[in-house]
Amino acid sequence: MLKYGLAYGLLSSRRRAREMLLPAITIATGAFLVVIVFAMSAGIKKQAAGLGHADEIGHAVVLIAVTVLLVGVIEAAVATTRTIAHRTRELGVLGATGVSSRPVLLALLVEPLVTAFFGALGGAALAAVIAGVLAAAGAAQSGVSASGTAAGALIAVLVSVVAAVVTSAVPTWRAVNRPPIKSLNAS
Amino acid sequence: MTVTEPAAPGNAPVVKVTDAWKLHKLGDEIVRALVNASLEVRSGEFVCLMGPSGSGKSTLLNIIGGLDRPTKGTVQIAGRDTSNITESQFAALRHDKIGYIFQSYNLIPFLSAVENVELPLMFEPYDRKALRQRAIDLLNLVGLGHRLHHQPAKMSGGEQQRTAIARSLISDPALILADEPTANLDHRTGEVVVQTLRDLCSKLGVTVVASTHDPSVAEQASRVVRMKDGQIQPD
Repeated sequence: MLKYGLAYGLLSSRRRAREMLLPAITIATGAFLVVIVFAMSAGIKKQAAGLGHADEIGHAVVLIAVTVLLVGVIEAAVATTRTIAHRTRELGVLGATGVSSRPVLLALLVEPLVTAFFGALGGAALAAVIAGVLAAAGAAQSGVSASGTAAGALIAVLVSVVAAVVTSAVPTWRAVNRPPIKSLNAS
Repeated sequence: MTVTEPAAPGNAPVVKVTDAWKLHKLGDEIVRALVNASLEVRSGEFVCLMGPSGSGKSTLLNIIGGLDRPTKGTVQIAGRDTSNITESQFAALRHDKIGYIFQSYNLIPFLSAVENVELPLMFEPYDRKALRQRAIDLLNLVGLGHRLHHQPAKMSGGEQQRTAIARSLISDPALILADEPTANLDHRTGEVVVQTLRDLCSKLGVTVVASTHDPSVAEQASRVVRMKDGQIQPD
């Protein structure tokens, strides 16, 4: 039955692409910042070493990266929670028609996952392109590291997907197991 | 899969509600939404629960369908006592025996009419071609063969409600519960919907319990159960 839940989730993700745009942009923003910070962190550290404050500036860069990652996680969580709230009535209908909860849970988790993946990928790709253009134009004085960009992109996509699934799992689980009458009345 | 042939009306009650109460706590006050309600509905009947807003008809309907549980009393569906079954067991019972029709249709906006009809069985290992054919047959049955691939937003209220009726029939249920099925429709469209429900009873032998406050809907029913202040009124 789970494969049918997955199929429904993919179908709804395709058909609801327009509704997913705003959450995807939110997640993309987080991913963009993560990639930019990681792409420039090596150059900043190198410059900091030249100034004799490598440790302090290194810590500051890590702090900025962690903060940006947290913002990305929160953005992913907000976006996915909003999506679940919008689908409350659908959950009520599925419950009222007696569809069992496990495939529905999976179906609903597909959308945050797809949103997070494509949102983060889009944000990371845009950041990589902009970082590359800045480096080529000589506008980034600290330099842009290719390995930092790649690591940032990987981390941004992974963190966004994991954050979206983890943060939407609990509200989705709760929503799926709520009595259908409450879901129908809540909307 | 094909649309089921008419079933002979039997004598065993499809629905048997015995001394059901539903009490809600509202602040310090106890609200009696349903008071000592008893009701039997036999196979093939079209029963209308009639009463003003707040009379308890939706509460009774929700209790019959297991969307809400009685504070006290028992409900039997097709001979099965539902008092001690879990939510998931009741969901399975609803899936097999009960079709739901809502006042506001509750179609899924991103699915086409035929996909909405398939919805209750979409998560199960049914042959997809047979499921699609059955959904098409049901949409033809309710006169919507020309709207198969339309999304709800592109259909009128009456068409949406008839799609919801077709959806309620996809699992071949013994019982259809319809909560104010014509409340959002104009009089003429409402008549078409009620006629469709009547046809389900006479042609397919499906049992229908509908709540309404519209006397013209009640006129079409084989039996009217009047409700007031949570109580079923004597005939």
